[in-house]
Amino acid sequence: MSRGMARLGEEKLARAALTYLAEPGDPALGALLEICEPAEVLAAIKANMLPGTGPGCGDSPAGRAALDRALGRWRVRLPTLPDDGGIANACREGIRLTCPGDPEWPDVLDQLRQARPYALWLRGNADLRFACSRSVSVVGSRAATGYGGHVAGELAADLAERGWAIVSGGAYGIDAAAHRGALAAEGITIAVMACGVDYPYPSGHADLFQAIAAQGLVISEWPPGCHPARMRFLVRNRTIAALACGTVIVEAGERSGALNTARHAADLGKPLMAVPGPVTSAQSAGCHRIIREWGATCVTRAADVIEMLSPLSVPDALAPGGLGPVFTPGSGPPGSGPPGSGPPGCGQAGSGAGSGSVPSRDDLDADTARVLDAIPTRGGAGTSTIAVGAGVDLDTVLRCLGRLAGYGFIERCDRGWRLRRP
Amino acid sequence: MPLARTYSVALIGVNGQVVEVEADIANGLVGMILVGLPDTALREARDRIRAAIVNSGEEWPQRRITVGLSPASLPKRGSWFDLAIAIGILAAAGKVPRAAVAAIMFFGELGLDGRLRPVRGVLPAVAAAMDAGFGRVMVAEQNAAEAVLVPGVRVIAASSLTAAADWLRGLPGPDGGPAAAEFDGSQELSHARATGAQAAIGGEVSGGRAGRVSASDAAMAPDLSELLGQSMARRAAEVCAAGGHHLSLLGPPGAGKTMLAERIPTILPRLDTAAALEVTAIHSVAGTLPPQVSLLTDPPFLAPHHTATKAAIVGGGSGIILPGSASLAHRGVLFLDEAPEFAKDVLDALRQPLEAGEVVVARLGVMTRFPARFTLVLAANPCPCAKMAGPKEGCSCSPATRRRYLGRISGPLLDRVDVKIELEPVGRRELLSDRAFAESSRTVALRVVQARDRAAHRLRGTPWHLNAEVPGSELRRTWSPAPGSLAAVERSLERGQISARGVVKVIRVAWTIADLVGRARPTRDDCDAALGLWLGVRR
Repeated sequence: MSRGMARLGEEKLARAALTYLAEPGDPALGALLEICEPAEVLAAIKANMLPGTGPGCGDSPAGRAALDRALGRWRVRLPTLPDDGGIANACREGIRLTCPGDPEWPDVLDQLRQARPYALWLRGNADLRFACSRSVSVVGSRAATGYGGHVAGELAADLAERGWAIVSGGAYGIDAAAHRGALAAEGITIAVMACGVDYPYPSGHADLFQAIAAQGLVISEWPPGCHPARMRFLVRNRTIAALACGTVIVEAGERSGALNTARHAADLGKPLMAVPGPVTSAQSAGCHRIIREWGATCVTRAADVIEMLSPLSVPDALAPGGLGPVFTPGSGPPGSGPPGSGPPGCGQAGSGAGSGSVPSRDDLDADTARVLDAIPTRGGAGTSTIAVGAGVDLDTVLRCLGRLAGYGFIERCDRGWRLRRP
Repeated sequence: MPLARTYSVALIGVNGQVVEVEADIANGLVGMILVGLPDTALREARDRIRAAIVNSGEEWPQRRITVGLSPASLPKRGSWFDLAIAIGILAAAGKVPRAAVAAIMFFGELGLDGRLRPVRGVLPAVAAAMDAGFGRVMVAEQNAAEAVLVPGVRVIAASSLTAAADWLRGLPGPDGGPAAAEFDGSQELSHARATGAQAAIGGEVSGGRAGRVSASDAAMAPDLSELLGQSMARRAAEVCAAGGHHLSLLGPPGAGKTMLAERIPTILPRLDTAAALEVTAIHSVAGTLPPQVSLLTDPPFLAPHHTATKAAIVGGGSGIILPGSASLAHRGVLFLDEAPEFAKDVLDALRQPLEAGEVVVARLGVMTRFPARFTLVLAANPCPCAKMAGPKEGCSCSPATRRRYLGRISGPLLDRVDVKIELEPVGRRELLSDRAFAESSRTVALRVVQARDRAAHRLRGTPWHLNAEVPGSELRRTWSPAPGSLAAVERSLERGQISARGVVKVIRVAWTIADLVGRARPTRDDCDAALGLWLGVRR
């Protein structure tokens, strides 16, 4: 698969041009690129000539006809193809291109075979190959509930704190929550777009993409300036599944696009995980179905995800602390509980983001501990119910609830307050 | 010399300016001309006044009458100059002694039969007259109770042009007593009652603006303790009342959003005299004062319907510019139920009053200012169908619809809201538990007054009176909480539960909570309680 280094310049330009001409995931082009050099393919398209044939590519009459049709398809966009200077210009302004064979090209994409991206446009500072070597894709519904958004954010933050990169789309809901969680933990996060990397879609996330580019990567198979289209999201999903070591579905309805990503992950033989939700919630119906029917693993916290991926992923040499400054110093070996530290609020304000100084249950003051005990394990309880249960007055219960919520022991639900899973 | 001067007041918003009315009778073509930027209603005064004078049995001078209103550059609107013009003509004709009319401000509209009709805006007009040094005002009987609210003024309540002229001439009325009653604030009670009883203010005046709910209606006075099962919401209302914070309520129908909003005025402090005069003046100009006029000392509560136009909310109109709901809610509560249903430009128009505490309506030749310093309460359902996001048979809104629905309340508006809470439907258990904690409005109002006093004392020497008015930069620089008290807040910030802007709001609310319990500076407890209010919304 490796190509001659000397021809990289020409090859890169040709691959860039192909991203303009053909929709990503076009099997005809994928097959051609397996037997021809990209520059040859580009020249053939420009000359309206069928390039050579090979095994699995135009070696049957039907295959030949398909190739013919594909050629017509690609030539349609020839007038809009920028010249070499224009393509080189697109690579400015913080945008770069990576192609198969580049040091930054993630080899995991080769699993996609004929559907492999022709090239990837990148915006951001992180190293794609390195980030993908320890990465989890966290995807789910756009119409996320508070529960889903919260779980996605927590999961992503905890994974990022332990040196795992997050891969997701750019949509509202779970995707955004996962990115934000990773950003908050100062981890690397990768947004895989279904349009140009300079095209903020949805536009409400323009700032989010800016933040992702500053700390992680915004990547796309489509050239800069390209607009999103409905089908492109489905094509894009295979890249999300292929890039990451495993895929976690946080919330997905019965017809969610996240299930398409899950299908790709399963097809690629990658670990597929799902976060369960309330059985009454339509937003979690898809998660429950893939657990039941596709054998997805039920995960509820970052430790579960890491346990699932570690034996299959890169060896422990890359574990947090084992290698250079690229990873945020983690809070311990994966899977161990968060370390207890001093009692909350004893003058350690501003101890730094991502330090992970979570107080344990034993560190809480008496009132707060009583309030925590009064919060039911299942379902939720109203503020006054909790106050009566704990035997404290309303002022006390309000400040204790605030403290517990701030430290992440509890959270708000549609029936009041409830315990948050550790 | 057949020239006489009388005085009246032109109103620009709730500010009055004394207008000199000069009447000159000279030889020439018989008729009357009116100069000095009169509007249509005022130009019609010509015919009204002629009929009124003739029907009152007075003699109409069959000569050329020129009436000038000065300052001439000020646009004059409305019908209340009638009395001043009519008395001026009578004085110029020598029918009324000129000396008697000089120190009196006249304010009233004439009927064709010579009756004196009540008008809007008497209170600010009389206040302007007092400021300009007029100790006496003459108004219609029905307006007397309102006029006498201005401290120190002597009010002459006339029922008709005849009564007014007779009083000026020193003649007795038909029943042998004085032709018009004169009284001042010390006699306020008896006279206000007497005149109030017969005060049938014309329908066009008291027609009322839609949505006004009187909080002082004692028969069905709402009380905070009725909001059982919503202890967080009650606490949030108390904090908002004490700190002047704006409030946003999210919750399904029936959770008690409207009920809570209606009860906020019951825990706000009663208005002091200066504030009550301001509020009454605005309602006087709008014509929404109840017939039994007295100073409005209860904080107003306004709940405009979501179809309201921009002019109805911030004020406007052609001709006479009327205050909108935002100004009528001055020193009280403006409640926008179903806030996302309001037109976007209406919501955005509220940003200026929220920022400046007043509404400025610009029209040709004149800028009208209405005070508008209110507590904003927004209420919204989680989505347009309001069925809660549940399994299949429940909410049918698409994700985009849901996002768009709440997104209609623009960011800059929400930025001004310090307290956001979510109300959940109340279960039986919560209802029972909450009985131990429900407090009456009286108890809460007492704490609110004390907290406001503490805040005002602490903020003396600054331009602010309430915690909500202190800008974020100042809060960080001068008014930071005790060291180490933000541990949980910072942990929350790290976890992405709260933004940096949210932290500022938590600190601001923490100050109010500290004021409520009487602490000099917010401690960790206060900051955590404020954080609890902030995290009380699912996200």
